[in-house]
Amino acid sequence: MQVTNLTKIYGKKSVVDDVSFEIPKGKVTSMIGPNGAGKSTVLNMISRLIARDGGNVDFKGKDIAQWKSRELSKKLAILTQTNNISMKLTVKELVTFGRFPYSGSRVTQEDVKIIDEAIEYMELTEMENRFLDELSGGQRQRAYIAMVIAQDTEYILLDEPTNNLDIYHATNMMKIVRRLCDELGKTIVLVLHELNYAAFYSDYICAFSNGEIAKFGTVEEVMTKENLSEIYNVDFEVLEINGKPLSVYY
Amino acid sequence: MLAVKSNRSKIIILAGIVIIASLFYQFSGIDIAYFSYAMSIRTPKLIVMLITAFCIGSASVIFQSIIQNTIVTPCLLGMNSLYILVHTATVFILGSTSFLVTNKTLSFSIDLVVMGFASMLIYGYLFKKTKGNVLYILLAGTVMSTFFSSVTSTLQRIMDPNEYDTLQNALLASFHKVNSSIIGFSIVLIALILLLLRKELALLNVLTLGKNHAINLGVNYDRSVRRLLLGVTLLIAIATAMVGPISFLGLIIANLSRQLFKTYRHSYLIFGSTLIGMVVLIIGQGLIERVFSFSVNISVFINVGGGIYFLYLLLRNRGNV
Amino acid sequence: MKASKSTFVLLILLILLSIMSLFVGVIDVSIFDVLKGDFQHLDIVLISRLPRLLAILCTGVGMSVAGLIMQQLCMNKFVAPSTGTTISSAQLGILLALLFMPNSTLVGRVIFSFVAAVAGTWIFVAFIQKIKFKDVVMVPLVGIMMGSVINGVTNYLAYKYGMLQALSSWLVGDFSLIIRGRYEIVFLVLPLVVIAFIFANHFNIVGMGEDFSKNLGINYNVVLFMGLSIAALITASVVVTVGSVPYLGLIIPNIVSIFKGDKIRGTLIDTALFGGVFVLACDIIGRIVNRPYELPINLVVGVIGSILFLGLLFYRLSPSARAKLSERTRKSKQNSIKEA
Repeated sequence: MQVTNLTKIYGKKSVVDDVSFEIPKGKVTSMIGPNGAGKSTVLNMISRLIARDGGNVDFKGKDIAQWKSRELSKKLAILTQTNNISMKLTVKELVTFGRFPYSGSRVTQEDVKIIDEAIEYMELTEMENRFLDELSGGQRQRAYIAMVIAQDTEYILLDEPTNNLDIYHATNMMKIVRRLCDELGKTIVLVLHELNYAAFYSDYICAFSNGEIAKFGTVEEVMTKENLSEIYNVDFEVLEINGKPLSVYY
Repeated sequence: MLAVKSNRSKIIILAGIVIIASLFYQFSGIDIAYFSYAMSIRTPKLIVMLITAFCIGSASVIFQSIIQNTIVTPCLLGMNSLYILVHTATVFILGSTSFLVTNKTLSFSIDLVVMGFASMLIYGYLFKKTKGNVLYILLAGTVMSTFFSSVTSTLQRIMDPNEYDTLQNALLASFHKVNSSIIGFSIVLIALILLLLRKELALLNVLTLGKNHAINLGVNYDRSVRRLLLGVTLLIAIATAMVGPISFLGLIIANLSRQLFKTYRHSYLIFGSTLIGMVVLIIGQGLIERVFSFSVNISVFINVGGGIYFLYLLLRNRGNV
Repeated sequence: MKASKSTFVLLILLILLSIMSLFVGVIDVSIFDVLKGDFQHLDIVLISRLPRLLAILCTGVGMSVAGLIMQQLCMNKFVAPSTGTTISSAQLGILLALLFMPNSTLVGRVIFSFVAAVAGTWIFVAFIQKIKFKDVVMVPLVGIMMGSVINGVTNYLAYKYGMLQALSSWLVGDFSLIIRGRYEIVFLVLPLVVIAFIFANHFNIVGMGEDFSKNLGINYNVVLFMGLSIAALITASVVVTVGSVPYLGLIIPNIVSIFKGDKIRGTLIDTALFGGVFVLACDIIGRIVNRPYELPINLVVGVIGSILFLGLLFYRLSPSARAKLSERTRKSKQNSIKEA
């Protein structure tokens, strides 16, 4: 996926300004940056959830806007932060929606197999018949990921998947992200607030600041004392644990 | 699978109650001497009630799903007052003697077209402006409903007394005086709406997941919602043209249906709320006609009961509205 | 001072409109006839036009001030006699008076309606305070729904006892029936507004919450109850003489506070004046549009008021306005803390 000159303007202020980058295939890329830097807006624009005010998003040789929405949904999945579904839905019913782009409302034998696998992959099998509103935050988040897995797309975009999760569930979520990439070969793009999750579990980091890309590169390239201090405007120290950079700010 | 089975049997039981209630309403307490006369009064009324229940029941469920909230119904947002305003305004502008007004089917069609445009404009703007914040939509909706009825009464005051008579007598319906002259036309219209919206109706389950999920799953969200909203508007217009405004009926039956069926599947929800609506209307109207001998109006009951029910829903949902 | 300028403009406007109102009507009365000492025309002015003008002023001033008080006490911009349950309870009270004491005088009806209005308002406020709603809009919604339930009961009772027609004059606000000798009870509004002005600072503090007022040594419940009772009494006396006029208490204080902030002492006079100006203007419109017939005031206010209200709502929804608004509330809070 190739993004060029992407722009978004609210009122007079441009929240995303002329952003260009390419998403590395088969890797985990994390978008980081302070609040209001435009990372979620970029994610929403490249997944067609919100309209863009300028630029191109080239996906497999065709602009996102040229794709038929149904076809695109077989290749690219997006999960945003706000997932308050007001209806009574069980886990299994939710995951079944992941097959909607393929079979509409009629579920085939193959769909059933894929749905069961997705539920199993997220270790939700015992609670597959429980209603979503009876689950804990972490379980619910896993159910949504299971739906995205059932959607069986090459690309998966996640907007702050660790938001509102405790350390245990957040870490598990990041491990799942890593496994999705390593075991299933997915290309994953995440928006993350936790710098160290980004450093530990991704291959590339795309750092935003003031609606522009401040740095884009491998984890080691971006996670330096100088870069982080500049982006976040506080003092940083970068240590190394298990061969991965770990940042401390104060 | 168990859930499906029991939901299916719930539908069958409800349908049974509807049939029994209809038969009872149709044939109870008839003096044989006046049999055909009684039939000619009761049959259209019964048909009108069945159609109304379907229109309001399905419109409310669909509307709640698009707006993703179960305490809102189109009538609470003043859609039925808008229809009455549109209707009054056409009589006011065209005059009561114009053939566009005296021909009921024609006048009804004009109302529907104007209503369609007006509500898409008004409610489309409202949804956009409030960014889907349900409480603001509700508040603005209640105010709009006052606005529409104020303009309606103003027009009625200003208009020629003769025209007012025509309006009052022939066209503004209530449960005591149902407007049965448009039954055939309405049935055709409803069938047409369902036919044209069949694709969008199939999408309802996905739309309930919310805008982001729906788009992610490849749904053309804005277009589907617009078309469904238009369908809702027309259904409400049909119901209001037949029996006049009943604000809370949709709220009650849609929520009862959701409570009863506990599912996201709209085939059940819509069918269920339709059947519940039929039961409420037929039994309610039957009691009022036969037991209370017309001393009260069913809409008073529905509005008081519905208001209390609404408060209860607000309180129950106050964590997550 | 900036405050006095707007007050001055409103006052001039009020006087101009008042003079205009005296001389608009079915029978043409020109100002010169009266000055020339034409007694027939003078009588018209004294018997019908002047009482009408006074009733209009009392209604506008009273309902706006009642709304302002309720908004301050509940700390919610959307609470008013019409969105609380005050108006509908007052109407129910009148119906009960008609049912139980068919021969009751105007004063008797005021008492019934006042008691009902106080009870209704108090129940509503207790309800919304017990259940702390997250969203400000929830409160008026609950109020509107409670109001419609009460209205339903009123309608049912009226229908059952054949009082529907008698009741309609209190359901629909109308100034055209006001003549000398049958409206004076509305003057009750004036002393009440004065009391409200005297206790304005108390209301302001109570609006900041129970802990806040305790900290400043003010008895929260007493002031709250007193304030609500004043609002209810104003509403009752207006409903008994004129009928219900929607939105006044809701819109007027809100518009004034957009321009002048939330400090009640500073806004009370402007709110009262603007209320008078608004109702006068609506009344004149209602008399001119459909001459020689009149449009009842509640229709004119219903139309203009709804539009203004929606404008207000959308204005509040726009992000820049919200930022400004919260800034202002913060400032006014700080100010009153400082003063206290």
